This record gives sequence, C-alpha cells and structure tokens, in this order.
Amino acid sequence: MKQRGKGIGCTFYGTGYGNGFPDVSRARVQLEKDGAVTVYVGATEVGQGAKTVLSQIAAEALGLSMEDVRFVCENTDETPDAGTAAASRQTYNTGNAVKRTSEALIREIKNAVANHWQKEDVQRIKVDRGKVYHPDDQDKTLSFREVALLAGESKIVGEDSFTAMTTQLDDETGQGNPYWPYTFNVYGIEVEVDTDTGKVAIIKAVCAQDVGRAVNPKLIEGQMDGGFAMGLGYALMEDINLSKGKMKHDRFSNYLIPTAMDIPDLEKLIIESPESTAPYGAKGIGEPVMLGVAPAVLNAIYDAVGVRMTTIPVTPDNLLVAIKEMDRKGQPHEK
Amino acid sequence: MALRVVGQNEIRVDGHSKVTGKALYPEDLRMDGMVYGKTLRSTHAHALFSLDKSKAEKMDGVLKIFTAADVPHNAHGVLFKDHEVLNAAKARRIGDPLAFVVADTEKNAEKAVKEIKVSYEDLPAVFDPEEAMLPGAPKVHEGGNLVYHFKLNKGDVEEGFKQSHVIVEQEYRTPMVDHAFLQPESGIAYEESGGKVVVCAATQYPHFDQLEIAEALKISVDKVKVINPAVGGAFGGREDVTMQIHLAMAAKSLQKPVKTTYSREESFYAHAKRHAMTMRFKTGADKNGKLQATEVIIFSDTGAYASWAINVLRKAGVHATGPYEIPNVKINGYSLYTNNPFAGAMRGFGATQVPIGHEMQMDMLAEKLGMSPVDFRLRNIFKVGSSTATGQKLTESVPLEECIKAVAEKMNIAYDEKLGVTK
Repeated sequence: MKQRGKGIGCTFYGTGYGNGFPDVSRARVQLEKDGAVTVYVGATEVGQGAKTVLSQIAAEALGLSMEDVRFVCENTDETPDAGTAAASRQTYNTGNAVKRTSEALIREIKNAVANHWQKEDVQRIKVDRGKVYHPDDQDKTLSFREVALLAGESKIVGEDSFTAMTTQLDDETGQGNPYWPYTFNVYGIEVEVDTDTGKVAIIKAVCAQDVGRAVNPKLIEGQMDGGFAMGLGYALMEDINLSKGKMKHDRFSNYLIPTAMDIPDLEKLIIESPESTAPYGAKGIGEPVMLGVAPAVLNAIYDAVGVRMTTIPVTPDNLLVAIKEMDRKGQPHEK
Repeated sequence: MALRVVGQNEIRVDGHSKVTGKALYPEDLRMDGMVYGKTLRSTHAHALFSLDKSKAEKMDGVLKIFTAADVPHNAHGVLFKDHEVLNAAKARRIGDPLAFVVADTEKNAEKAVKEIKVSYEDLPAVFDPEEAMLPGAPKVHEGGNLVYHFKLNKGDVEEGFKQSHVIVEQEYRTPMVDHAFLQPESGIAYEESGGKVVVCAATQYPHFDQLEIAEALKISVDKVKVINPAVGGAFGGREDVTMQIHLAMAAKSLQKPVKTTYSREESFYAHAKRHAMTMRFKTGADKNGKLQATEVIIFSDTGAYASWAINVLRKAGVHATGPYEIPNVKINGYSLYTNNPFAGAMRGFGATQVPIGHEMQMDMLAEKLGMSPVDFRLRNIFKVGSSTATGQKLTESVPLEECIKAVAEKMNIAYDEKLGVTK
C-alpha cells in the first residue's frame, strides 16, 4: 500500500567561526592600466559561486560592469588571507571585505584625480560607471584607464578587511553572542511511503530560504538544489556503516547518494530581508539550504505511516522493520 | 540607490571553463620529470606497529619511502595538532597514513606500498563515544578521550518542565557520512628557484594549508606557496590537510615534482566525516502551546582526531533549541575520541544534526496538544527582538515567519493566519 504524508523542517544557522575567534577577511583591489579592476582575495571557489558573487559585489561598489572586474583567488603569493570557504561566511564576511576594499579604491582614485585637477575638493568628485566626473563641468571626465595612467609606473590600490561580530561564550552558562548573522531555512516535503517495500518517494518539495538579499538568484537556486539533494541523501540513504572502525560503505557501489533520478523538482522560494551589517544585505546560504530537509522528510514519514523514525538514514529495510513492528503491536499506521 | 549588478543572474565567471573542460583540476596537472607518491595506510583501528621497508626500498623505480622519521615536525591539525603527518608508532584508526612511497611511476609506487611489511600489535579499541567516556576506556590519545564538554544553562529547566502541560522525551541518532565531493583528492608539489616549495592541491583554505605545511617542514611561511586550482566540491571535506605535507616534504627532499591522486576509496579514508551524534531531547510546552523548557544531551563522535570537534559541538549546542524562543534551556554536549574515522567539518557543522531532534520534538508536542505542526511552530518562532538560547538578541533580518507561511501555502498546509507577528 502507498501512503502519503507531509512534513516541515524549520532551522536557523549562525554564520562564521563563532565564539569570539577572530573571523577576518582581507582583500586587495587594484586598478589596472587598461582601466579594469582586479580583486585579489584568498577566498576559495569550491563551486558555491564565490568568484561570481564577490565579483558582483566589487562591480557594484566600483560602479563597473562584470566585464571590467577580474578576480584572482588561486594563489597564496598573490592574495591576502580571506579565511576559509566554510561556515557560510564568504558572501557575508569576504563580501564585506571586498565591498570596503572597493570603496577604498574609489577613494584612492578620487585622491589621484583631485591632485590632477589642481587640488580639487575630493568630496565633490563623483565616480560612476568607470568614469570620474569634474564637479563643475560634467563634460570634463577621466576614464579609469586615464586615471590608471596618472599613477605612472605604480598602481592605484585599495586595501581593507572585515571582521565578523562574535563574542566568546561563558564556559559554564553558554551565554554570549557566538555568531552573526543568523539565517533561516524552512522545507516542506510530501512523501509517499510504500508500506510493502519501505521505500520513500518524494512527491513534492518546497524550500524557503532567507538570503538577506539575493546577490545572484540563479546561484542561490543552485545551492538550494544541491542542499536539497544532500539533505535527502542524509535522511534516506547515506551511512558509512561502521563496524569496529571499518567503513563497510567506502565506495559509490555501496555508499549510495541520490542520483538525478532520485531528486524531484524542488520549488525554491527566495526570501529577502536585507541585513544591515551585510554587503548590500546579503547573508550566506551554503549550509542553511540543507538543514531543513531531513527533519521535514522524517516528519512527513510519520504523517504518512505513523512511525517516528528517530535514526537516520531511513533506508527501506529500516522503515519496513519499523512498520512491521508497529503492525505486530496492533497499532494502526493509517492516520 | 538602485542596485545594478547585485541581484542579477550573472553567469558564473568560472562556468565556461568548467563546462568546456578547460578548467584545470589538480589531477589534470602534469610536469616534466614528475614522480608519483602512494600512501600506505593502517588497516587496524588501534594498534602499535612497526614497518619493514627493506624489500620495498629495493624495488624497481622506488626513489624514497618516507616515514615518520623523515618529517621535521610530525604534527598537524586545524585545532589541536593531534594528527601525525605520518604515524610514528601507533595507528588510531583504519586509514592512518604510515608511509609515503615515491617512485618513477604510479604502478611502481603502488607495488612498493604492498611490499612494506607492517607488523601490528593490536590495542583495545573503542568505537562508541559514550563508551569512550567510561573510566577505563581505551585511550585513543594520551590526554584521555573527552575532547570537549559544552555547557549551556539558561533559566531553570526543572521549573520549566513543572510549567509544562506536555513533555516529550526521545533519543535521536545520526550516522557518520561522507562529503562525496566529485573530485577525489589529487595534488602536485615542486620546488621553485629560491627554495620555495609550491603545493597545488584543492583546498578550502589555501592560507591555512600554507601555515600547516611550513610548520610541519619547519620552514618559514614565505617559503611555501599554495596554488588552489579548480576545486571539485568540498563541503568541509577539504579543511583538514590530507596529502599536502606529504607532497611538499617529498618534493623538497627529492628535488622533483611529486604527484599523488587518491582513488575514491582512499578518499573515503583520507578526509573527515560528519560527526555521528546521539542526541537525547526532553522538551515541554504549556497548554497554550508555548515552549517552556528543553534539555538536550549530545554525544558527538569525533573519531581518532579532534579536527573541528569543539567548534562543531558548540554549533550543535547553540542551535539545539531550533529557531524557537524557549525560556529554560539546559544543554550538555560531549565530544569524544574513538577509533572510528575522524570527523570534522561538513556542511552545517553540527547545526545539521540537531534539527533531526528539535523538529521531531516540535511535531510530537503539537500532536499531544492537538495543534497543527505549523501553528505550534508559529507560536514559538524567533522574530525580531527574540533572544536565542545563548541570550543573543536577534535585532534584524529574521524572516522565519515569512518562510514558514510561504512553505505552508505552497504545500497546502492550513495554518492560523493570526499566529506569528506581522512585520
């Protein structure tokens, strides 16, 4: 018999290293001789989209288009330390560093131009779309390329950093402000349980992800799809299956992860609620997107067949045993 | 001011090179005159061992077999330096690296690994974190098995349970799982002119790897360069170094480019796992559906090495209430060494395990109170102005109600629209 049920999973996630540990991202932004800008930052692109998102933040802050922003993150000799690509911290933490550094470059550009324009008041100079405008004469402009040439052999550089807000927790009470910001995630999942085989099929899935502000909605949706797949694997399939310290599942022929055939369409809802301390309001979502999946599946299984599966993964054999056990005790598993 | 670039679906800047196959992953890298390394790993979970490499050393193409004696400073680790670069005398888990064989070809290195004779003397082992806490349990490391005890106390849980109309108690268990990233570990190292060692290997944190390599080789940080080519996924599994120090040491010693590539199976043994957790929840709510108290005990299995044990357990503890206002909270978490694979960072970092518990607790309480799960949550969720279990005030950007209601609508789950706060 096939029975359906719905469940939800609500979660939150505190960004960053936490507990007062110095969570610092550094960046350097440089005006090149061709008028483009290069961002140097030791933030790893692990597939999450860091290079794209941080380039967008730089482009926004510099008033440039994406084509005029280059991004270098692959080499410790060239890049300042931006911390680890973990803790969902690169968009927030390094994003802030890149934004501040880009703003520092704009200040340096204004200083160079003010000097060139016979000590013009820096405050009155405007920069927009790769051009520097004279305050009294809109036709008098310098392109970034021309500004770069003003510096001669040297380069105009902006450098800055960002440090997250975090305090150490009290050892005894655990009180304090360990992380910031917090990000919220909710999944709703409908399952169909085959009570003869114990197999759980996903009928419908919805994810609402708080993002602060979406820097790149498509990349966020990509993270949501990935987090959903990983969460389903966690709920229903994955276990290294230890026996006296030995992994019985140590390759993909026995360590099963979801394939495209196991993953239904996920309905993705991006919820914006800009965070004032974040770059343009954007919070990190790399980890939050997977947190609500497994609990929503477990609650849906209960709604479908009345069995609380408190150990994951809920493989067909485990679920079948639990259903049979309930039948044996004479409890109905239809609600 | 209107945003121009932020908010746009810009094409990934690394997308074109990846979909056309032009992006270079570490395994794609080749150098003239490069030689190959293979790692000998422990097959016993807890044992003293000795190595006889005399036969292997004489085999065709073998250049050098590195062991603990070759490592200038034989320790690394993200938090504690409790990993050995190559284990010296004791294996603490299946998969510990015991030797690194370098030969002219991958095949010759592989053959030589098989000819190293390892004599094991098994020690009593422990595989369960709760057993690891007992007096007399086998010690994985000298200092004892308890890595960290996390404590959180807010209000008075006993009083909170007295105020509760319904209480649910349940134990939850989550397993160790693997990151299963697409690209198994691979890397190449060489020495540049001027004596700088260059390591190209996919990592989440190049500047930290640089530090770890420098410390283990006892050279200054500016004598190490880490190049981070295209990374085939990480999810936390590329935080602890795996092959980086082996490669750097071999490249410096042999003055040749040295490459190594793990198979999928070796990858399972080389990097961390998600912490398995046993979590005991007791949660109470009053007649009106307001949460009154929660008490949680967590046992976290960090396996043979600490990696991020403390930080992961802390994150689990801080998030164990779920996103709900609960006036009385007591949490005790214990992270323990065992002879299991070592656990470390993985997507969610402790905040992935605890929702298995708190979210089923919410549904059970709702059922006992005859409320819908969504309505019950809406009565208790964080909003702007809420305090977390650690007493942290949520001052802005808390759109949880919006998230819940959006999901409920899409799922056709009815809820009481009056519940929650209007923004």
